[in-house]
Amino acid sequence: MHIPDGFLAVNTWAPAWVISVSGLGYCIRRVSGALKDKMIPLMGVMAAFIFAGQMLNFPVVAGTSGHLLGGVLAAVLLGPYAGAIVIAVVLTIQCLVFQDGGLTALGANIFNMSFVGAMGGYMIYNLIRKAIGSEKGILAGTAVAAWASVVLASSVCAVQLAISGTSPLRLALPAMALVHMLIGIGEAVISVLVVGFVLKTRPDLIYNKEDA
Amino acid sequence: MQHSYIDKYAGLDSFLHGLDPRAKVIVSFIFIFAVVLSNPTAYLSFALYGLALLILLAVSKVPSSFVFKKTLIVIPFVALVALSIPFMKGKDGLALFTGILIKSYLSIFCMTMLTSTTKFPRLLKAMERMKVPSIFIMIMSFMYRYLFVLIDEFHRMQRARDSRSLGRVGRWDTVKVLSNIIGVLFVRSYERAERVYLSMCSRGFNGEIKTLD
Repeated sequence: MHIPDGFLAVNTWAPAWVISVSGLGYCIRRVSGALKDKMIPLMGVMAAFIFAGQMLNFPVVAGTSGHLLGGVLAAVLLGPYAGAIVIAVVLTIQCLVFQDGGLTALGANIFNMSFVGAMGGYMIYNLIRKAIGSEKGILAGTAVAAWASVVLASSVCAVQLAISGTSPLRLALPAMALVHMLIGIGEAVISVLVVGFVLKTRPDLIYNKEDA
Repeated sequence: MQHSYIDKYAGLDSFLHGLDPRAKVIVSFIFIFAVVLSNPTAYLSFALYGLALLILLAVSKVPSSFVFKKTLIVIPFVALVALSIPFMKGKDGLALFTGILIKSYLSIFCMTMLTSTTKFPRLLKAMERMKVPSIFIMIMSFMYRYLFVLIDEFHRMQRARDSRSLGRVGRWDTVKVLSNIIGVLFVRSYERAERVYLSMCSRGFNGEIKTLD
C-alpha cells in the first residue's frame, strides 16, 4: 500500500504533502503539550517498535504470510496523535532507507496511513469502546477499527490513484478494497491479540483506558 | 547483532560515498522531482536519466544486483495500473502505463543510490542542516538507534519460542504466540523508553540534543 513515485500526479501529491505536514505539526503540538521532553525518546522507541513488529511474518494460507501494519495498534496504545506521528516516522524511514513508498508520494502515504488509518481508526475504536465499555469494548473496538482502517486507507489510496488519472476509480476502488478486506482480517486478529496481551499484563499502558 | 541490511553498502569507499551528504540529498530530490514532473512520453530524457544513474552506479561500486532487487518493490502497483489499461477511455493507456513504470523505476533507482552511498546518521545530519524540523530528526535518530536493539530482543524471543516448541505447532497457536511476542516487545520497548528518558534527564537533557559533529 506504499505508493511509489510516479503513480500520483502533482495535483494529488502536492496537496497531500501540505495536509500531512500541517497535520503532523498539529499532532506534535498536541503530544509535546502532554509529554514535554519525554516525547522524543518515547516516540522514537515506539516507532522502532512498530517497525520491528511489522517484520514479524504470520502464516496465512498455503505458504503465504502477512504482517502487522500497526496503525490502529499504535493509536490504541499511544493515542491518536502520538500514533499518527509514530506511523509517519516509520513511513519516512521506509521511504528513505528501504525505498518502500516514493518521496513525492510520501505525503499521500502519510495521509493514508497516519491520518486515515491510525487516526480514523482511533475514532472508530473510541466510538465502539465507549458504546460497549470495559475490556470487551476495547477489544471489539480494536478489532473493528483495525479491519476498517486497512480497508479505508486502501480505498483512499485508490481514490488518489483515480484523481491522478493513473487508474480509473471503478477498477481501482473495488480491487484495492476487496484485497484489503482480506488483509484487514489478519490485521484485526493480530491487533486484538496484542491489545489483549497488553490488557492482561500492563493495562495501564493503554491510552486513556480510564475513560471507557 | 547481525543487521547489515539497513544502509548495507553505505560503508563502501568511493567518490560518491565521500561527497557531502547535503549535495547528494539535494541532487537526488531534484532528480526525483524532475523525473516525476516530466511528460510521460519523454523517452529521450528518460533514457538520459537512466544513463546518468547507471554511470553513478558504476562509480559507486554498489553491486548492481542489489539495486535491481530493491527496484522490484513497485510490482504490486504496476499490476494494478496494468489492469486498468483497457479501462482508459480517450487516453492511450499503454503510453501512460510505460510512462509511470519508467518514472517510478527511475525514482526508486535514485533513492537506492542515495541510501546505499550515505550512512543513515549522516543522511539525518544533512537533513537537519537543511532545516527539516529538529523534532523529526531527533525522533528518527532515536528510532534508528533502538531499532537494532529491539530487533535483537525480538530475535531472542523467537529463539526462546523455537527452543520450547518442538514438533508440529498449529497455525492458530503460531499466530497467538507471535502476537504475544509483539505484546511483550511493546511493554519492554515502553519501559526501555522510560529508562532512556530518565537517564537523559539525569544527564541534563532539556529538549535539545547536542552532538560533536
